[in-house]
Amino acid sequence: MGSYYDVDDIIAEEEPVSAVFQKPANGVGIDPSAEKNCVDQGSKVELPFWLANELCQRNAVSVLVPPCFDEKTRLEIQADPACVDLRSRSPYFYEFGCKMVPIVADRTLGFLLFSAFRSRYKDVLTKAHTASHVAAPKILSRLTKEEVNLYEAAQSSVAAFKKWRIGGRRFHPASVLGRKRRSEE
Amino acid sequence: MAVQSEPDYSLFTAQEIEFVAEDELIEIVPNMRMDPLNLICGDFGPFLPQIAAQVPLWLAVALKKRGKCTIRPPEWMSVEKLTHVLEAERDSEREFQSLPFHYVEISRLLFDHARDDIPDGYMVRSLTEDIRDVRFHKVQSSLESFDGRTSAVQIKSLSAMEVNIVRPFVARALQSFQKLDSLLPDTDSMPNNQPQQADKAAKGRRVLRGR
Repeated sequence: MGSYYDVDDIIAEEEPVSAVFQKPANGVGIDPSAEKNCVDQGSKVELPFWLANELCQRNAVSVLVPPCFDEKTRLEIQADPACVDLRSRSPYFYEFGCKMVPIVADRTLGFLLFSAFRSRYKDVLTKAHTASHVAAPKILSRLTKEEVNLYEAAQSSVAAFKKWRIGGRRFHPASVLGRKRRSEE
Repeated sequence: MAVQSEPDYSLFTAQEIEFVAEDELIEIVPNMRMDPLNLICGDFGPFLPQIAAQVPLWLAVALKKRGKCTIRPPEWMSVEKLTHVLEAERDSEREFQSLPFHYVEISRLLFDHARDDIPDGYMVRSLTEDIRDVRFHKVQSSLESFDGRTSAVQIKSLSAMEVNIVRPFVARALQSFQKLDSLLPDTDSMPNNQPQQADKAAKGRRVLRGR
């Protein structure tokens, strides 16, 4: 899992999940549809993941599988993994999924994430190595954050190699040398 | 050094790899007389006109620039050898032919600085480019065959530059695989947890008995 200061990790935990309250909760305003300042037992509320996770560990809520891992997505991933627009489902599809696995009842979620990544990374690899810069935005718009990182890692190393092969300036002057001295005022 | 590497993406830049490759030894034929050089990496020389000597590539290039020697291209850099290697590379799907670890960098340095010393320079150049392309394509296709249980990749006789190009991708991809793979045992082995454990124990015993 990401480190404490990992921004992506923090944003991934912001994803909303729907949770069903197992116990009534008093004095909290997290359910906007409730008339009173409390949440009844059995009411369904959208919570950010970090809150749902904490409540789930205290057995206060049970978490439903979020819509980005629904049946339709699964079928699309089975049909053609490379073409599924996972970014619109959730930009943190894998990270969020990893966090969801321990708290939802669905046992197939882990396998879904794994098989999706296994069949998608090949496409990321070949496109990163062959696609031109013009085509990049179109490809990137379908990838999740993690896949974009992967794409950029592969792409930048190939670009660096091509640059080296073509040549050009072999020695870069230190940045301080080119600078003009500021005139005294 | 020309460009410092970014810590996040790859361990070395192409320029750094080239710098490392400059330590490879190569044969030169000097046309001047000079005393032996005693360097930290070894003693080279004495240099006598028309008598071949082994020197590091950086020294060879420096002498060549001053017109003090001709460089003898290494054995593998001949049209014959390279044609043979190219054919073999094309024939085998998975195997990589053995070439020097720094063949990409050495050929580039020699083409840049000692083009006139390489017989059939044009042919040699296009052959090395072809070999590099074929090999790189093979590397790509072998990277496409990761599956979940991969924790390391083994490809024999890969060169420094080829490794360096795929390193950032492979490192990240394997990391993600490992992360996602760690989810699997919880999920799909739940119903048959018991037999697996028994199996593991049996395996452990077998190993012990074998010893």
